[in-house]
Amino acid sequence: MTATVEKDTIRSEAKPRSVRKYSADISAMGEPFLWGLGGALAFGIILIVGFLALIFWNGFTTFWPKPIEVVTITDGTRVAGEPFRSEQYRPGPEILSGLTDDQRAEIVADEGFVGRTLYRTGNYDVTGEDFRWVSNFQVTDRAYPKDFFFFERQEWGAFVGTIASIDLNGRKLSLEELTLPGLEAEQEAARDRFDEVHHIERTDIGNVNHEINELRLDLRRAALRHGEGSPEYQELQQSNEARIAELQKDYLALANQARAIKEEDRKYRITLQTVNGEEKEIAISQIVRFYAANDLSFFEKVGVYLSRWGEFVSEEPREANTEGGILPAIFGTVVMTMLMVIIVAPFGVITALYLREYAKQGRLVTIVRISVNNLAGVPSIVYGVFGVGFFAYMLGGSIDALFYPERLPSPTFGTGGILWSALTLALLTVPVVIVATEEALSAVPRSMREGSLACGASKWQTIKWIVLPRAMPGVMTGLILAMARGAGEVAPLMLIGVVKLAPELPIDGFFPYVHLERSFMHLGFHIFDVGFQSRNSEAGKPMVFVTTLLLIGLIVLMNSSAIYVRNRLKKKFAGSQF
Amino acid sequence: MAIDANDASGGNGKTAIGIIRRRKATSRAVIISDKIADWVITVGGLMVILAVFGIMVFLVQVAFPLFLNGDVQESRDYVVSPPKELIWVDADEYLTIGIRIGDDGTVSSFHLDTGTKLQTLNLDFGGQRAISVGATSKRDNLAFGFEDGTVRFAVIAPKVEILTGDSMPASAQRLNDRDMTDGSAVYSQIPGNQLRRITFETKLEDPQKISDEGAAIIAIDYRIGGTAERPTRSFVTVDANGIGRVSRTETQFNLLTQEATTRVGSSTLPELPQGLRVSKLLMTSQADQVYIASEEGDIYRYDTRDFAKPRLAETFNAFPGDERLTLLAFLNGEQGLIAGGSDGAVRVFYRLQPPDARTEDGYKLTLIREMESHSSPVIGFSASQRNKTLVTMDLDGNVWFRHNTSDQTLLKLKRDGASDEGTQLMLAPRNDAVLLVDGSGQVNFWTFYVPHPETTAETIFGKIWYEGYLQPTYTWQSSSGTDVFEPKFSLTPLIFGTLKATVYSLLFAIPIALLGAIYTSEFLHNRIRATVKPVMEMMESLPTVVLGFVAALLLAPIVETWIAAVLLAFGALPLSLIAAAYIWQSLPSQLKLRLEGVPKFCLMFVVIGIGCYLAYSGGPMFERIFFYGDLKAWTNGDIGTGLPFLFLALFPLSFLAVAYVFRRLVGDRYRLMLREFSASQAPLVDGLRWLIMLLVSMVVSYILAAALTAAGYDPRGGVVDTYVQRNALVVGFVMGFAIIPNIYTLAEDALNSVPSSLRAASLAAGATPWQTAMWVVLPTAMSGVFAAVMIGMGRAVGETMIVLMAAGNTPVLDWNIFNGLRTLSANIAVELPEAVQGGTLYRMLFLAALSLFVMTFIINTIAEIIRQRFRKRAFQL
Repeated sequence: MTATVEKDTIRSEAKPRSVRKYSADISAMGEPFLWGLGGALAFGIILIVGFLALIFWNGFTTFWPKPIEVVTITDGTRVAGEPFRSEQYRPGPEILSGLTDDQRAEIVADEGFVGRTLYRTGNYDVTGEDFRWVSNFQVTDRAYPKDFFFFERQEWGAFVGTIASIDLNGRKLSLEELTLPGLEAEQEAARDRFDEVHHIERTDIGNVNHEINELRLDLRRAALRHGEGSPEYQELQQSNEARIAELQKDYLALANQARAIKEEDRKYRITLQTVNGEEKEIAISQIVRFYAANDLSFFEKVGVYLSRWGEFVSEEPREANTEGGILPAIFGTVVMTMLMVIIVAPFGVITALYLREYAKQGRLVTIVRISVNNLAGVPSIVYGVFGVGFFAYMLGGSIDALFYPERLPSPTFGTGGILWSALTLALLTVPVVIVATEEALSAVPRSMREGSLACGASKWQTIKWIVLPRAMPGVMTGLILAMARGAGEVAPLMLIGVVKLAPELPIDGFFPYVHLERSFMHLGFHIFDVGFQSRNSEAGKPMVFVTTLLLIGLIVLMNSSAIYVRNRLKKKFAGSQF
Repeated sequence: MAIDANDASGGNGKTAIGIIRRRKATSRAVIISDKIADWVITVGGLMVILAVFGIMVFLVQVAFPLFLNGDVQESRDYVVSPPKELIWVDADEYLTIGIRIGDDGTVSSFHLDTGTKLQTLNLDFGGQRAISVGATSKRDNLAFGFEDGTVRFAVIAPKVEILTGDSMPASAQRLNDRDMTDGSAVYSQIPGNQLRRITFETKLEDPQKISDEGAAIIAIDYRIGGTAERPTRSFVTVDANGIGRVSRTETQFNLLTQEATTRVGSSTLPELPQGLRVSKLLMTSQADQVYIASEEGDIYRYDTRDFAKPRLAETFNAFPGDERLTLLAFLNGEQGLIAGGSDGAVRVFYRLQPPDARTEDGYKLTLIREMESHSSPVIGFSASQRNKTLVTMDLDGNVWFRHNTSDQTLLKLKRDGASDEGTQLMLAPRNDAVLLVDGSGQVNFWTFYVPHPETTAETIFGKIWYEGYLQPTYTWQSSSGTDVFEPKFSLTPLIFGTLKATVYSLLFAIPIALLGAIYTSEFLHNRIRATVKPVMEMMESLPTVVLGFVAALLLAPIVETWIAAVLLAFGALPLSLIAAAYIWQSLPSQLKLRLEGVPKFCLMFVVIGIGCYLAYSGGPMFERIFFYGDLKAWTNGDIGTGLPFLFLALFPLSFLAVAYVFRRLVGDRYRLMLREFSASQAPLVDGLRWLIMLLVSMVVSYILAAALTAAGYDPRGGVVDTYVQRNALVVGFVMGFAIIPNIYTLAEDALNSVPSSLRAASLAAGATPWQTAMWVVLPTAMSGVFAAVMIGMGRAVGETMIVLMAAGNTPVLDWNIFNGLRTLSANIAVELPEAVQGGTLYRMLFLAALSLFVMTFIINTIAEIIRQRFRKRAFQL
């Protein structure tokens, strides 16, 4: 190109007139190419913004109560449900052959596309399906009757239908007799009973079982240590048996208490009716939430919306994770990330200090630095494989053999758990921390170090009082970035410790309170699991969007704080060499 | 220090000096803490660095045993008495008791480790001697053939009981550290303070007359099928008259009388050639195939699916040369047939179903491989009961432990002295020992540890001919429920899948990321840049599980429905952008000046929107014109020809070619001519030139496509083929989206670090910003940009969640963009949770992880070195 330009100039000397015209050579402006460049950027931005908008829109609207549409279709049956989403599709020949000529002509005119709507019809226990597609040409009538309710149930998912009758301890009532607020009060009371039973079964009986289990393990340990015939063992066995008998008694008492409440609860029932007239009787306590979807004021809708959010962030999951809350997953993610930071911070900082302040700068350190940089690019799954092989099987196996022989062959540390996950992710993120800390250390001006040393401070004193405080924002940035990366990582965790449903949290009220060997739930894995492993991925989709929103929110928050800290750092050291 | 100074000035002279002198020495605490810090930081730093390299070492250490053969652990030889003609040997799976069965029906047992003689049982053959023997693959059900044309069935099986620790009989004598015996049973101490009691039990049934003429049964093979309640036994016999029979017994249990009645039904095989010297006889467990081999190496394969009317399906010569056949046996699973020759050759045949079989039943015996040859006739053989390992023995007493799939000789054992035809050989049920007993009572017993017989570098990376396949393939299929399954551990399809996903995602990501980076760095308004850059950076740490979810559950169905529109968008977006550029050029210059900068950038968004809309609305028409109205049917090859697609594929190439030719032939003249036009006319002329070039390249492309189609080339079957919902297109798109931020940020950094003096110089010399960016900035930053692409590639190679969720996980070897794939990383994620620690699959997955590690490490190191160079260069500029 440069050559051509030169040639042009030579020729233009021959024609003096063309000097003025030089500006008219529009190919030099490269306008089409510029638009190509800009278009690529614009396309990239559209993708990103579109993606985020998709997540945010779906995430935020999932809990908003939607109206119930009652659609009468051509064969006379009726479908009632929340319109879930609509799309265009191409019906196959077997569907087309069943249509009238007019409809077919319309479809052909539309390039063979037909609109259809997916309705969330619920009533899985009655009809065997939760969702149903209704094509536009099937619809003969749409209505929004006010007496249709949307019920969220403890089991079997949602129910869409009307209330046929209510049975309060033998008193048969219709909805008009009880009134809606009356039903709401009954439902609240029933939920209280349900919660009480749940509390007894989970917490109280759980405590008893835990203690019994501990006693058994103690006995097993004594047997392994002293032998079964030893006096220590005999003594322990006797005392344990007495205690276990006592606990069994407690257990029976609690179980009776729970049974009594359940007995009482079973007397409060409600009969629901689907749009096609099938009836279903359930206990009122099975209803988690209900509302007359087509008869809600704006504020009532907001109320339902907020109550769903509340349930989401503070409850345990139901229905194979597709409904209810995700508290254990949030808890697991946060605990694991915190544990990871606690592990990664000292090691990352120490290594960076070593590389920058202690090691002799030379070829070797350069190679090490390149390797550390590269490790940031090693696939996370490789760390997962390493974690399983080294931490869980090798380290964990040895720990089990040494400290928990009484629990073998079921592994304690010898399998995936939160500690191993945190260690694996610490290994994964240590390069991030090292690189960030090194950068921050190198940003501390040499003169400051020299000044400190000249004043007689020792090397460690210089690092402790002069270098590290200056580098602290950089270190923090590195740690936050490491957290963001760790929180979003799923692949290695799938191998080492994350589970679909963890019955116990990694931190609870039983000694030693923090159970590092336990497997845990994780937001990222929750997305994978609900989206891919559940009975009906359609039912899980809204839940996945909300979980995604939460996870992205968490990560964006961490990243933006890192960027904020970094910008402040940049300003602070604007004067020094960077 | 400050306090010291105060002290010095405040106190009286002498003491002050004393204090100062004392204080000059650094306090102990400081020295100690300095030393500790020194030590901790050095050790800690080195430890982290070591740990990081330890990962690689650990992965290598776990994966390495895959390539080892294994070793002999113990080797015993002793003599048991009395010597006798042997027809069978057996041992239990815990390697405790061995038994020898003589042709007179004596079953004598001995302790395998020490050779101590244990009890002897007798099968009552009624004074006859068995002249042939057949057994099921578990070696516990036997059939003996006799001189008088009768057959007897026997069960000789080890019985294993687990007892509590204190049930050892008082009279028991110690055999070795583990075992004690009371003369008949052996008691072994096992963990958990328990005892394992092992005895052999025998049961002999009444003789069944098979040969009506009373001719001797010279060969027999025996299988058990059916259910446990109603077992069906099938056996095939050849008698001295050369008549082959296939027989079946059915046992019916009478519920009233509690009596079992056994009936034997036989049918005669088609007549064998006269004078055939039958050497071996085989039958499958389903009783649907019978093989009779002659000494000359002819194998007669009979189809016995129709029990009443067996027919000869195929004859086949396993040894076309002069060698004689000395051995014919099934491998585990009965798919593979092993033949041994008098020259020591060991050949493997599979029964395959090729299209050109030309046999009665459509199957054909095919020579698969010639295993390492013995130097003298092969006379002994034993197949594993669990996998594809086998043992062969030759006349010189060499015993070789081999594996069929991996075609390797794992162990070469040698006994003292030669073997003979009567020497009996068996591979222990757990593939961990070989027992060899000869007629003189000489016993050789080797135990060994061969954990991974099925893997070699060849099986992992090369083409292997697996059972049931028509030709050697690269296949990954790691697990199945049955023992007879042949695991197929080839990493090649997985590495290929990784590359495929990487290539397609880079094809999408590189243009967008690099072009976007150039625009950001060189042309974008500073204020927009300050927001775009951090957003892009933040997208780097977007959890990929989210992208995978969106890809698989939202994008894949949409792309499937709107596939034509999506394909059209690849053309519509660039074309509409360029068209917009020509329109922009022809705008009045005042308007252009006013809109320069941010509004122009916004216009680009609008143009992208228009392009998308065009693709959306033009999609169905596009599909009708180019893909005969149904793209999916077209990709299947059901309708149409490859011409329209070739036209589309060749169009960009021919446009480039046309543009190049134009530039070489008339480029300069055209530009001089363009200057003659006024500022308002020139853009129109230029736009017209572009349109003409488009038309010309369309014509060129059509001619090329027609020529290729006429030559018989069809793109279907290559990069386009049958459409699958979760495919490489979706993966490429979403994974591309995941790596765009990476490439973009690094490339933008590289472009940005080109010193502004260069730009200023170029602009001052009269170059336009476009020329400056293209010919000054980009070449300078090239190495940095290249490093960015490499790092993006490294990330694509290792990405797990997106491919796991959106790629369909089918380990296939094709470039079809509409088909799925399985990457190394997804494979690990899918299979590691099920892999048994220390097993072959487990180690294979570690090897997969190691290959990923090495791949990314190489890519990243190259990128890093280039980047360091670039930094140095940029610094020098």
